[in-house]
Amino acid sequence: MAPLELIIELVLMPLVAFIVGLMMVLMMRRIAAKLQRRVGPPFFQPLYDIVKLHGKRTQVSHGMIHDIGIVMAMGGYIAAETLLPVPGMNGIAEKGGIITLLYLMMIPSLGLALGVGQCANPNGSIGIARALTAMLAYDIPLVIVVFGVAYAAGTTNLVEIIATQQAGGFETWGAVQMPLLAIAGLIAMHASLGKQPFEIYIAPAEIATGPMVEMGGKYLGGLFVMQSFQLYTTSVLYVSLFLGGGTTWFDFLLKSFLVLAIPVSIAYLFPRYRTEDLLRLMWKWPVMLGLIGIAFVM
Amino acid sequence: MTLTLLDELLLFSGVTVLVALFLGRRLPAGWMVTILYGIQLLSLLKMAPLGYGGDPIPSTLILEVMGQTLSWRFDALSWYFALITLGSALLSSWYACGEWEQRFRQAGGNVWLFHLAMALNVFSMLILLASGDLLSLFIGWELVSWAGFLLMAMAGGVATRAAMRYITYAMVGAMAIFGGIALVYVSAGSLQYDAILTAVSQMGTPHLWMLVILFSAGFGIKMGLMPFHLWQAPAYAETPGPGSAFLGAISSRMGLFAILLVLVKLFGIVNIESLKIPFTLIDARDLLAWIAVFTIIFPTFTAMKQNDARELLAWHGIGQGGYMLLGLVVADAMGAAGGLLHVFNHATYQAALFMAVTAVIHRTGTSDLNKLGGLVVRMPLSFMVLLVGIIGLAGLPPMNGFVSKWLVYRSLLNEGMPLLFVAAVIGTLGTILSVYKLIHNIFLGQLRVEHEHIKEAPWSMMIPMLILAAIIFITGLLPGIPLAWVASVQEAVGLSVPNYTLGGVESASGSLDMIWVIGVLFAGFGIGALVFYSAGKSKRVHQLDNYAGGHFLTADIRYQYSDNFYAGLMHLIGGWYRGSFLWLEKSVKSLVEFLSLGMQGIYRRANAEFYLLSTALFVIAWVVI
Repeated sequence: MAPLELIIELVLMPLVAFIVGLMMVLMMRRIAAKLQRRVGPPFFQPLYDIVKLHGKRTQVSHGMIHDIGIVMAMGGYIAAETLLPVPGMNGIAEKGGIITLLYLMMIPSLGLALGVGQCANPNGSIGIARALTAMLAYDIPLVIVVFGVAYAAGTTNLVEIIATQQAGGFETWGAVQMPLLAIAGLIAMHASLGKQPFEIYIAPAEIATGPMVEMGGKYLGGLFVMQSFQLYTTSVLYVSLFLGGGTTWFDFLLKSFLVLAIPVSIAYLFPRYRTEDLLRLMWKWPVMLGLIGIAFVM
Repeated sequence: MTLTLLDELLLFSGVTVLVALFLGRRLPAGWMVTILYGIQLLSLLKMAPLGYGGDPIPSTLILEVMGQTLSWRFDALSWYFALITLGSALLSSWYACGEWEQRFRQAGGNVWLFHLAMALNVFSMLILLASGDLLSLFIGWELVSWAGFLLMAMAGGVATRAAMRYITYAMVGAMAIFGGIALVYVSAGSLQYDAILTAVSQMGTPHLWMLVILFSAGFGIKMGLMPFHLWQAPAYAETPGPGSAFLGAISSRMGLFAILLVLVKLFGIVNIESLKIPFTLIDARDLLAWIAVFTIIFPTFTAMKQNDARELLAWHGIGQGGYMLLGLVVADAMGAAGGLLHVFNHATYQAALFMAVTAVIHRTGTSDLNKLGGLVVRMPLSFMVLLVGIIGLAGLPPMNGFVSKWLVYRSLLNEGMPLLFVAAVIGTLGTILSVYKLIHNIFLGQLRVEHEHIKEAPWSMMIPMLILAAIIFITGLLPGIPLAWVASVQEAVGLSVPNYTLGGVESASGSLDMIWVIGVLFAGFGIGALVFYSAGKSKRVHQLDNYAGGHFLTADIRYQYSDNFYAGLMHLIGGWYRGSFLWLEKSVKSLVEFLSLGMQGIYRRANAEFYLLSTALFVIAWVVI
């Protein structure tokens, strides 16, 4: 591939992810509004929010690591997007593969954890402790799912995993071939988004919004950007593993938004689990489904 | 007689011991020893062709003992482990010889003994690594055990008790190894590697089983494999700071070296795989792999519960050994490369982590995770080193630990081992939780009043730490550098070699190129920084200017979350910590006590006629039958 073309892709991929991510935030809010019989925000509200937060006059910093943490939270996702193929663009997906992508997606969480840590607020620290515990909960079923998919495809290369599904048509989609893994993956993905009933680390009534307790202005804005990327990355990853990726931008976006709509709709209907209940749930159902799913694959 | 390069290296190492012994009470002894380690390292680098597939270098020293030939030589395997040994010795000794040493002396520590013990450790490790037959291997093994004991025991008190426990385990291991060697000798008629290689192919299954069990138990004790892991964490944690950095980096890897040499090179993974366990679907190789993953999981989750930074790190050291063994017993090109690469990577970040924690102890006097906090503003460089180290330990990009773990994961995936794969990832996730607690409780959160005026660690300690941090990052960016050495080790022990590049590994089933991954990661950070810093300027506030639910915070209010850090997790898994292995150890101990009491009873009775009678009967029986 021509270097110029690659550079354009590396710039475009995160940019697209950001824009689509913002629209996903909008969708999430609209769904919440529908379920709560409200009107919901206007189309450009997510963008307004980010601009507003970054433009605020009062910006409170708790120190260098607080700042760097936010930079890492945004930067990690920007990098991760270049490993996630979209229609017509593969970026450097072939140079990393899915295991690298999963680990790269932990960098933003690490950045956030460091940044929150320096805020010297126990509410934030408890939030991070809970968030890491949640990660321990949902990542176990998630890696089982990833193992199953990668083993069935015989590769960790996402480009090939998508290409195989597209070449064989609907019957070769991951979700059709490996329905148990697809269900387990959906549950794990829901938990990884940190939405209700799994929002144990935000828990406004218990720990004053946890990681966000000392975040305002551009700090909160950075987290907002991180969330948009997170919604995008999670749903696109799911589409790539189970729904054959996208041949055109239209079906790619359609699938991604639909997949995301499932956990988001569920989220606004349920209250919050306790930490240990989240662990119990994740280690029981999706793990069991995933392991049975793998047994079918092997 | 001309000296070979190996003779030269061993000679320098011996000289280092002598200098530490006789000149060690002079003031600049630390520096002298450090320089001598540097010379040893240079002498090792002269053998660098070994790391790129060169021919083995023999020593001119050959001994004949009771018809047995004892010889020493260096091949790619020895060279790779010796490089890690000397590198960590040089940096640990450098770290020790400045301000740390003065403080240690003031506190009543014996600096002379410390340097002597370090030099002895390095010397004995080199002897072990150079062994050219099973007998010289055993001699080297014993030397390493006792040298390690000296370093662990020197702090006195708790340390001596931990060291006694270690040496008890080590002696049991030595017995097992000795038994194994005797068995080998009976069947092969020689202790030379070549003779053993031919003998193995004719061995029966029960014979081979016995050997595999004896050797893996014996060598596994040194590595801290389950269920022989209990001695390691307290012993390493109680060793004086730079000593624990050195031991944590390389000491228990001697067990892995021996496993590689005996189980992988001499016996061969294929032969081990042919040992089926009756009535189950698994064989001896699977058994070793499962021991490896249990060694990953249990010590990692024990580490998570520690409240002392050094104990926490030492427990992780045990767990990381599991990844190395796991990669080796999977034994395909990628897995073995991952396991071997992890030896190097682990040595770099574990040494850096122990050094950073020792720097904190140097300034604050404690490593209790509930008595620290907020130190990042006082010791930013130490924070950075610890951060680099924990990212390596947790195995996240962009540090080197990621590459070796990635290789291990990939091999488990290629070989279709889902349960081992998931178990290995559980270990990594547990590590992430545990190391965040480490960095949070020391460097993040609220700075205590009593720590408001402390300074960054002195430069004599800082420079080795920074060098290590740089190595961790560079070998993460360019894993091809150590992978070249690893590849020649794989060739030397008869394993297949992965198709490595400067930035990672090429493979039809998914490649890795760290140069690109890290490139985009830092580009991402750059864009993130651009967005962040171009927004409104932020104002730095005092740490007490904080949300406290409407209360005012004052300096005397402790506003920090550190104890029982993963409370929610412990609600679920807290009850699973049963201390079963401690119970097992205790029951073995009381069994031995009971038996010795019985023996003592017989002995104390001192009934001469009875002894005479029974001896006579025994002799008669012997003669008649």
